[in-house]
Amino acid sequence: MSSDSNNNTNLIDSTLNALILEIAEHQSKQAFIELFNRVSSKLKAYAIRCGANQADAEEVVQECLLIVWRKAPTFNPQTASAITWLYTIVRNKRIDFIRKQRPDLICSDDLWPEPESDELEKHVESDLNANIIRTLLYELPEEQRQIVFKVYFEGKSHSEIANELDLPLGTIKSRLRLAMKKLDTLAKENMSWLIIILLMNF
Amino acid sequence: MANYHPSDELLMSFSAGQMPDALGIIVACHLEQCAHCRQRTALYDKLGGEILMHTEDVPVAPQLLNNLLCKLDLPYPNAANETQLNSETSAASEIKRIQNLPKPLRRFVSKEFDKLPWSGMTSSLKEFQLPFSGNGYSAKFYKISAGKELPVHTHRGNEYTLVLDGSFSDNAGEYHQGDFILADTQIIHQPKAANDADCICFAVTDAPLKMTGFFGRLLNPFLK
Repeated sequence: MSSDSNNNTNLIDSTLNALILEIAEHQSKQAFIELFNRVSSKLKAYAIRCGANQADAEEVVQECLLIVWRKAPTFNPQTASAITWLYTIVRNKRIDFIRKQRPDLICSDDLWPEPESDELEKHVESDLNANIIRTLLYELPEEQRQIVFKVYFEGKSHSEIANELDLPLGTIKSRLRLAMKKLDTLAKENMSWLIIILLMNF
Repeated sequence: MANYHPSDELLMSFSAGQMPDALGIIVACHLEQCAHCRQRTALYDKLGGEILMHTEDVPVAPQLLNNLLCKLDLPYPNAANETQLNSETSAASEIKRIQNLPKPLRRFVSKEFDKLPWSGMTSSLKEFQLPFSGNGYSAKFYKISAGKELPVHTHRGNEYTLVLDGSFSDNAGEYHQGDFILADTQIIHQPKAANDADCICFAVTDAPLKMTGFFGRLLNPFLK
């Protein structure tokens, strides 16, 4: 992946950060409209890729953006970037939307309870971290990336993916394992760089 | 601090929001107690964000923005429910203080462990069925009496276990509160609770246990 598109996504992320903070601080509808224009088609695409029809997908988009409006004051760019925050919102809304039609017991609040104030996460999501994940995603060989996408969008089990792609189960497992190992290595390298940077600053 | 953790495959699927209910809850319970896995899951959330931003746009209907703008100033619809939820939560936090019940379970388990309506499998092994089984997954609490050993058994499918209270051991290790253990069809084991306290486990299975020992075979017909 070129550094151009990497910078481009950084720009998108920082623009979204600024818009959400603007909504949080000033309830700015202008910022909300701007945010809508930038993310609604992404949120809809996610819902569609996860299997929603057009109407349901748009309802998920609406519910997500209402949450963004209401919960903007809880957004903390130090713990999660705007993109990550939006992702967790649309993921949770999708889960709750499915449950609405099939009255199961589990909702996203059960799976991701609000942390109590004394258990707030200390880790900080750095730009470095974001770049590394972005680079990873686009440097993965197509065959590994395809499987990661299937996990996120389709919730396919490994054996279902194997059937679909007409490949042995072992191949799917090893490709996904390779993808995750690469992510893990990059994350660990990133961690040691962070430590070095911290040490140099003291 | 937990020593046994869910695999990356599980954490990724959790972060993707694509897990069957019972599995999702057991992973969520482990995450609550494990900063290490929370950190890993944060990476997968981040990956989810990147995937979200790189999907090909699907434009929304033109009237959607106006519909939304009309709703922005409406009062929050769930305000009443929220107060109710809060009082439930404070009652539940009382339980947590006593019994270390992880938050994702609080809505489903309203009593302390020793007041639950346990049903006996044997005198040393009791079970309590949780209400979110389904999709081929079964969720239960197991209580192994202090110092007792279960019959040797293996599994027809996968069994995910989270230690909630006390500890147990088998030939592969010793497991304490917060530990997350996966036993599959390859594993034949005989869990034994520590001598000092009953061991309470939260277990999710995608197929029933299969007892292998003599006593186990006798016991097996009673297992669902």
